[in-house]
Amino acid sequence: MIYSFVGYYALILGLISGSILVYFSVQNFRNSEILDTKILSLSFLQLFFVVVSFFGLVLSFVVSDFSNETVFNNSHTTKPLFYKITGTWGNHEGSLLLWLLVLTLFIFIFLLRTKNQTIKYKTLTTIFQQIIIIGFFIFLLKTSNPFNYLFPIPEEGLGLNPILQDPALAIHPPILYLGYVGSSIIFSSALAATTLKMVSGSWATHIKKWTLVSWIFLTLGILLGSIWAYYELGWGGFWFWDPVENVSLMPWLALTTLLHCILVLEKKTILTSWVIILSIATFTLSMCGTFLVRSGILNSVHTFANDPERGLFILIFLFVLIFISLFIFFFFHKDNQKNSINLFWLSKESAIILNNWFMMYFLSVVLIGTVYPIFLDVISSKKISVGPPFYHKLIIPFLIPFLIGMAIGPHLKWIKSNLESKKILIFLLFISILISYLIVKNFDKNLLVNTILISSAFYLFFITVKDFFTKKFKNIAQNIAHFGFSLLILSILFNNLLSSEVITNLKIGESYENSKIKITLEDVKQRDEKNYNSVVANFKIISSNGKINIMSPELRIYNQPNIVTSEADIKTTLMKDKFIVINLVQNQEYFNVRYQDKPLMLWIWLSVLLLSMGGILSFFKKRI
Amino acid sequence: MRILKITLIILLLIPNLLFADDKFERNKITKNLRCLICQGQSVYDSDSDFANSMKILVDKKLAEGFSENEIYEFFKEKYGDWILYDPDLNKNTYILWLLPILIFLLGGAIIIKKLKFKN
Repeated sequence: MIYSFVGYYALILGLISGSILVYFSVQNFRNSEILDTKILSLSFLQLFFVVVSFFGLVLSFVVSDFSNETVFNNSHTTKPLFYKITGTWGNHEGSLLLWLLVLTLFIFIFLLRTKNQTIKYKTLTTIFQQIIIIGFFIFLLKTSNPFNYLFPIPEEGLGLNPILQDPALAIHPPILYLGYVGSSIIFSSALAATTLKMVSGSWATHIKKWTLVSWIFLTLGILLGSIWAYYELGWGGFWFWDPVENVSLMPWLALTTLLHCILVLEKKTILTSWVIILSIATFTLSMCGTFLVRSGILNSVHTFANDPERGLFILIFLFVLIFISLFIFFFFHKDNQKNSINLFWLSKESAIILNNWFMMYFLSVVLIGTVYPIFLDVISSKKISVGPPFYHKLIIPFLIPFLIGMAIGPHLKWIKSNLESKKILIFLLFISILISYLIVKNFDKNLLVNTILISSAFYLFFITVKDFFTKKFKNIAQNIAHFGFSLLILSILFNNLLSSEVITNLKIGESYENSKIKITLEDVKQRDEKNYNSVVANFKIISSNGKINIMSPELRIYNQPNIVTSEADIKTTLMKDKFIVINLVQNQEYFNVRYQDKPLMLWIWLSVLLLSMGGILSFFKKRI
Repeated sequence: MRILKITLIILLLIPNLLFADDKFERNKITKNLRCLICQGQSVYDSDSDFANSMKILVDKKLAEGFSENEIYEFFKEKYGDWILYDPDLNKNTYILWLLPILIFLLGGAIIIKKLKFKN
């Protein structure tokens, strides 16, 4: 109880220090010879209050204080300590408090680390960031207070959804939020820079670091979510184009576009308007994502009506932010180029513009695919589903030129270049087509599309590999990132083409056999844990090469809340994953067994790690 | 470059060697059907009772000689558009399918108008 009390009042103090901070920033902005030390101290104080509040909530969870409504709704005394702690951000209120924590953390680091910029710029960025922060404070206190008091105090909590009781999902939200919320700094400083008319090359260099930070965390956050979906949701997939996944992909696409576009701004001080629009769009998309996930609008439009206050608040807040940004953009921003910008067809600038063009297309596909069904439902109450086939049909054809552009782009020079000496590029293209044709031919599936698609992915792959040797360590970050992307596309394609599966029903002692594999259900054991009881089935799996594997998928019956989950057993090797999952069939003695051979799964994860590795390298390179 | 063109032409001429495998057809169809009682899973991915009976139904329809599109029509009539993950192109979905393409074209137009490219 004491923790909730402290947490609540710390939140109010945080809000107050935010308001004082705005006051001093405005004062300092008018008279800006030196940065008022009060601003830095107040920013620290605000961060401190939010940290106190956050730990107040964490401790309430740890001691299972059920007089706190959030704890009551999301925790239980029998839960292991680790999941009591991670349960803090596994719910609406707690995750918003985490949002706030990251928001205040980032502005504090921004003030601390930004050295070579003007005082006016710093104070103005602080003001914009505080508008966001104060908005979230009010949102939290008014509609989603994490410290609501319950009386009489319940004996026991309602428990945490079992599929959230998982290590990957425990750290997935904080990492993802660092990416989401990190983009708020890009938003605030872009607005500040626009107002002060200082969107230039040096500003681009400065903001690139922040873009990279958000991008790296967002990439890793999406990766963790995807890995979790793969082993926890029990169907062996890792990306379903589900709305909740899509909303994390949208800011990622915008950030990636921004990351490339900033390079042009850094070199040539062109495309200023475009960089500002992208900076605004990135954070707006992050907020839209939070809105869509948190308001419950995604599953059904009608759950929105159950809690209109939250949805409405965040929607209005979103419109206010968009209005402020548009106002600043149109009022203060004057594009200094009166005439149109001259570019050479074959230049790095053109290649990056091509990248931006395609990325915006991909973004619009994901955005429209996610939002359109909601609109249609509201307007005509017709329900449609938009799933993987839609995205594949619209994205794959465009992915082909995109991959080839990704291979050639980095070879072009700034301003002007020519490709005459690049016979090797064409030679590699030819090799890629040949190899992928030979591979795909053996599998007889959708020959033409697959051949072309795999060719372009191989093309990027070979060229980036070649660059590791010929370019030495020049631009190594870009090279690793592009290489990672080619590896990602290749792994996903081959994973799709070469996966095989067996679905069957087995009783204890029975086996299933085909030309490639023999699966025997040897025995079933019971196991009791603190928060669940489980049924473990032991399978013996004999592959055609005589290799024997013992695999043990589980059914878990959680006690609080009472939910049955299937835990897959996965054997990961370098070249393929073996994936097995069981399900109970009602009123039957047998289990429903699903066994899958999934090639190159490990490489999907590794290639995303490589991708973010590229970002990390680029981040540190610029700091030295 | 000539070799390249010839290879491409040869590739285009090679017929699509899809052979009709029952399981393959069934998987392809069930991947495109939403499991109505699950959250964001296809019938193919789900092991719920609903999904399992749907799989059996798809098998039955295939055995009766229904084509892929006829099966989609059958389910659409029974459960509505909601069940299909691959929405048809009709008056409700023109915007869905065509707006991204329009945005792409518009983007291209803006790029060409705003920037002058030289050789």
